[in-house]
Amino acid sequence: MPEKTIEQTALFTRMVAEKQNWLVNPDKEFTDSLVEGLTVNFNRYGYYLCPCRDTEGSRELDADVLCPCTYSWQDIEEHGHCYCALFLSKKFAASGAQASGIADRRGS
Amino acid sequence: MRETLEYTTVEGDKKQPAIVVFSLSTCGFCKRALVFLETNHFAYSYAHLDKITLDQKTAIKKELLDEFGTAVAFPFVIFDGKEALVGFVEEEWKKKLGIA
Repeated sequence: MPEKTIEQTALFTRMVAEKQNWLVNPDKEFTDSLVEGLTVNFNRYGYYLCPCRDTEGSRELDADVLCPCTYSWQDIEEHGHCYCALFLSKKFAASGAQASGIADRRGS
Repeated sequence: MRETLEYTTVEGDKKQPAIVVFSLSTCGFCKRALVFLETNHFAYSYAHLDKITLDQKTAIKKELLDEFGTAVAFPFVIFDGKEALVGFVEEEWKKKLGIA
C-alpha cells in the first residue's frame, strides 16, 4: 500500500471536518502533531488509527477507532471535541476553550 | 513485565514524586503531558507503548489494569509506583503535583 504523506493526511482531516460540519483544531502545533501521528499510524498499520488509541492488532479489531472514530459524534456533542481533539464542534471552537483529555468511550 | 521496558529519562529539579508515564508517540495529549512535566521542572521517565510488540503491550496493559484497577488509556501516569492517573487533564495533574 502506498504510504501517505503529511499533506495527504492533512487533506483527509480537512475533508472529514468539512463533511461533518466540524472544524479541524485551530491549535496548529497540536494539530500538526496529530496529523503526523495519523500519518505514522497509516504507514505503520495501513489505516488511519486514531493517534491517541493503540491498536488491538488488526483493522477489524480497530474498526471503531479508525479516524473519525465511532465515538467522535457523541464526544463532539458532549465535550465539543473528539477523543484526540483533532476535530471540534464549531461552537466549542468559537468559545476559545482549550480541549482537554476526556474519558475513552471505547470499551466502556 | 514493565520493568523490562526501555524508558527515556528526563532530568528535572523536582524529583518527587517519582513519575513514570506510559504514552503513545502519536498522541497529542501524551506530548502535552510530557511538555507539562518538563515545563514544571519535574524529573520523569516515559515509554511509548506503540513502539513495542503487541504481545508486550498487551501484557503491560493487563499488569497495569490488575495493579491499578483502571483500564489503560494514554497518557497513563504512575506517581511513586502507587497511584495512577489516566489521560491528561492539566488541572488534575496540577492538583496531584501540588502546583497552584
